[in-house]
Amino acid sequence: MSEDRRPSGDGDCGGNAAPYVLGALTPAENDAFLQHMSTCAVCREEVAALETVASSLPASVPQFSAPRQIKRGVMAEVRADARRARRPGATRPAMAAGRRGRSALVPAALALAVIALLAIVIVGSGGGASGTRVIRAEVSAPGASGTVRVSGGHAEITLAGMPQPHSGRVYELWTKRAGGPEPTDALFTVSSRGEATVGVPGGVAGVRVVMVTSEPLGGSRRPSGAPLVLAQLG
Amino acid sequence: MLGPLRSVTGRSDAGLRDLADEELMQLVRRGNASAFEVVYDRHADAAFSLAYRMCAQRALAEDVVQEGFLALWRSGARYDRNRGSVRTWILGIVHNRAIDALRRRAVRDRGRVNDEGIEERMAAPDRTDLEVARRDEAREVRDALRALPDEQSRVIELAYFGGLTHVQIAAMLDIPVGTIKGRMRLGLAKMRMTLGDPAEVVQ
Repeated sequence: MSEDRRPSGDGDCGGNAAPYVLGALTPAENDAFLQHMSTCAVCREEVAALETVASSLPASVPQFSAPRQIKRGVMAEVRADARRARRPGATRPAMAAGRRGRSALVPAALALAVIALLAIVIVGSGGGASGTRVIRAEVSAPGASGTVRVSGGHAEITLAGMPQPHSGRVYELWTKRAGGPEPTDALFTVSSRGEATVGVPGGVAGVRVVMVTSEPLGGSRRPSGAPLVLAQLG
Repeated sequence: MLGPLRSVTGRSDAGLRDLADEELMQLVRRGNASAFEVVYDRHADAAFSLAYRMCAQRALAEDVVQEGFLALWRSGARYDRNRGSVRTWILGIVHNRAIDALRRRAVRDRGRVNDEGIEERMAAPDRTDLEVARRDEAREVRDALRALPDEQSRVIELAYFGGLTHVQIAAMLDIPVGTIKGRMRLGLAKMRMTLGDPAEVVQ
């Protein structure tokens, strides 16, 4: 892959380094600029220089004490996650349902991207214990595998042999009902052996597909790439 | 599998507070909730202050901070110390979450902070060298921002704190998109020159 050395101010690069570090690009522009940076050393250097300035901006705001109820809410979930991770058979990190579901709807156009992603097909499912279904997911990573265990309206996905997310990325779990993929608060990585067990936040009533993508830290509101794991629940 | 805290860290909970952020993040990566709590205590005020400045609504800012820290807990393994301090990383996550919230909920009057019952403005005792350094940094960043021409500081603030895209700012100010991008770039470049070595500013 050749490196582009054109300066970013000449129009070829779109002058997007400054709006990028300020968070002022649209999601589509942001994705395109990230792709562009992978081949443009000039933009990478400019972003590195401007990013440090942008990251100093929070210091300029009036400082307040964080209300105590935030900590109570955060630590309740953190300790619950930690307890779940200590259960026999669990792997770290095991993610729990988020504090609240996300309600953002994914634009219909994005569903097209997901259709393309459905090139990953479901390879099978099997029954389990009474009231429990175990569904095998298709996983794109060579040598990796995944299953979804559905019981009582709740589901848990277990992965093995997954690669670590790339630097600055995290795995995100999505559900798909009648419309496009809906983000969940389940952001996770895998253990050194590529394992993770992740609860599907909010239950799986009406959920047809559960899938996993690689997203920037903090997660995304819509998939930024093809699903790495996909399981058809019904 | 995690054992008792002391067997993981060789330290008591109180001892965790002596650890650097980067050391704590190694424990967080292994699922240590107590280490995470120390990280939270150190940076929650800065995170909330940023979220409140952006959202201008206490409830929304609280949601943003809570979601941000939970995302941090659940993606802690991906912290890369080569890309900046833990504080910078956390504030970056909160910033992204706040932008999402602002764009999703179309909050009006954003950028105009009101009180909404928040009266806990932080006391200002110079307890530690770190706090003194942070206060100096805050003053320097504010001064650098104020020193910019209004047209440059305005687009930077609308973008970074207002969560507006460059296209929205261009429409709001009735100015071409290219001009908006140029003002952002010029403003940030001038701030960089004013602040000197940025590595000394943000850490």
